[in-house]
Amino acid sequence: MRPAPFAYHRATSLEHALALLAEHGEDGRPLAGGQSLVAMMNLRLARPRHLVDINDLPLEGIEQVGDVIRIGALVRHERYLRDDLVARYFPVIREGVACIGHPTIRRNGTTGGSLSHADPSAELPLLARLHDATIVAASLRGTRRIASADFFRGAYETALEPGEMLTHVEFTLPNSRPFGAFLEMSERRGDFAIAAVAVVMEEEAGTIRKIAIACSGASQIPIRAPGLEAALAGQSVTALAVAGSAIDAFTATLAPPGDIVATSDHRRRLIAALLARALASAGERTREGR
Amino acid sequence: MIEITLVVNGDRRSLRVEARRLLADVLREEFDLAGVHIGCAQGSCGCCTVHVDGVPRLSCLTFAVQCDGKSVRTVEDIGGPAAEHALQQAFRRAHALQCGYCTPGFIMTLAPFVEAMATENRLPDENEIRDAMSGNICRCTGYQGIVEAVRQAIAERIGTGAPA
Ligand SMILES: Cc1cc2nc3c(=O)[nH]c(=O)nc-3n(C[C@H](O)[C@H](O)[C@H](O)COP(=O)(O)OP(=O)(O)OC[C@H]3O[C@@H](n4cnc5c(N)ncnc54)[C@H](O)[C@@H]3O)c2cc1C
Ligand code: FES
Ligand code: FES
Repeated sequence: MRPAPFAYHRATSLEHALALLAEHGEDGRPLAGGQSLVAMMNLRLARPRHLVDINDLPLEGIEQVGDVIRIGALVRHERYLRDDLVARYFPVIREGVACIGHPTIRRNGTTGGSLSHADPSAELPLLARLHDATIVAASLRGTRRIASADFFRGAYETALEPGEMLTHVEFTLPNSRPFGAFLEMSERRGDFAIAAVAVVMEEEAGTIRKIAIACSGASQIPIRAPGLEAALAGQSVTALAVAGSAIDAFTATLAPPGDIVATSDHRRRLIAALLARALASAGERTREGR
Repeated sequence: MIEITLVVNGDRRSLRVEARRLLADVLREEFDLAGVHIGCAQGSCGCCTVHVDGVPRLSCLTFAVQCDGKSVRTVEDIGGPAAEHALQQAFRRAHALQCGYCTPGFIMTLAPFVEAMATENRLPDENEIRDAMSGNICRCTGYQGIVEAVRQAIAERIGTGAPA
């Protein structure tokens, strides 16, 4: 099958892109890497009447601005794997992005595309939620900053409105060197995850000063584990290796979606197992300083 | 219809295309490049991989209009009519193809990987090679021959071993 007819517009500036998106409203869509959108159009699961190609916009930077790093919508997945700021301050992002698809997909897919597409099992939405990232969106009406907690609304559903596009995502820099881990299970190397978990923490003299834990596969959007975070914060890092009952208390609250790949119960147990391993690994890395 | 100019395997040509025409179809139908194979049209099999401005890209997830003014390279060009690229020769030696349907995609995905490793002067381990080819699906070979061909092509380029 091939896509339904549409009109193609190549935006030459952000203002131009926003004017085109405003003009076409519900009928218009940004086209970034095309790694999700064109696949959906080929299947006729998406039939936008107007595509606004944003690939010429200057949104390809990763830069430090005050206490955040600001990542442009057109930063390709692969770029995270060789960026010094990411390596130094966001080791878990690096580890998670390495799990996105295959090399050709990582070379062409973009940050803005992945976050806006909001696939329930995609890595970047999970990493954004883990780090409480802020999503910056622009339209002719101006710029809007959206907390990642409010951005993801459902499977393939975000807080973006017609005429609006994501321009940046901001991650707050940690106060001290963070430790953490990202783990996922997929059917085949590079496939979308059946479930994924991520942990990031800062410690001080062997005590967990701050910890964030997130997972996908548990719901239609990536979620945090506030109870589990509270149970571990302030404890010794050795508690990470023996968090079994706190993990069980968290996963007992989950009702993961069941599908052809995994039943709800299988996903719940998978998340528990991945969490145990990710927490233990984060603790080990902290003690070994790596 | 939109008027675009493509530089395909070194030849510059202007043509009029509908916006919805996939690069894969335009390369096959307008340029007669039958080495661009379409296995899934969903990004899953890697058969349609070409280089756009030197970078591997799935031509089934790319509209031809997006490539206006760009240079596109296909498997027909990479080793010439006799398929003389080091990787193509290694594919032959290592029995890395059977029906050959997936082969152009593997070659276009892996040729830059072979170059990158040669530049780093490094022979990757099997895991890294399997990572590099993970976006391509082959129905026939069981992949073992392909891994071996990639290893041989890199070894040959960095001069650490005569091809088997
Ligand atoms: C075989 C295969 C395997 C994959 N595996 C994974 C995986 O394991 N993990 C994973 O996370 N992803 C995976 N992907 C998806 C990949 O990461 C996509 O690149 C990504 O989801 C979408 O990014 P894109 O730039 O290609 O966006 P596009 O496909 O261009 O767009 C996707 C959607 O986002 C919208 N959009 C794009 N940019 C913006 C913007 N700036 N503002 C507002 N809306 C925008 C589009 O209108 C469209 O609705 C895979 C894809 C394929 C084909
Ligand atoms: S045909 Fe393009 S990836 Fe399968
Ligand atoms: S050789 Fe037949 S599909 Fe790979």
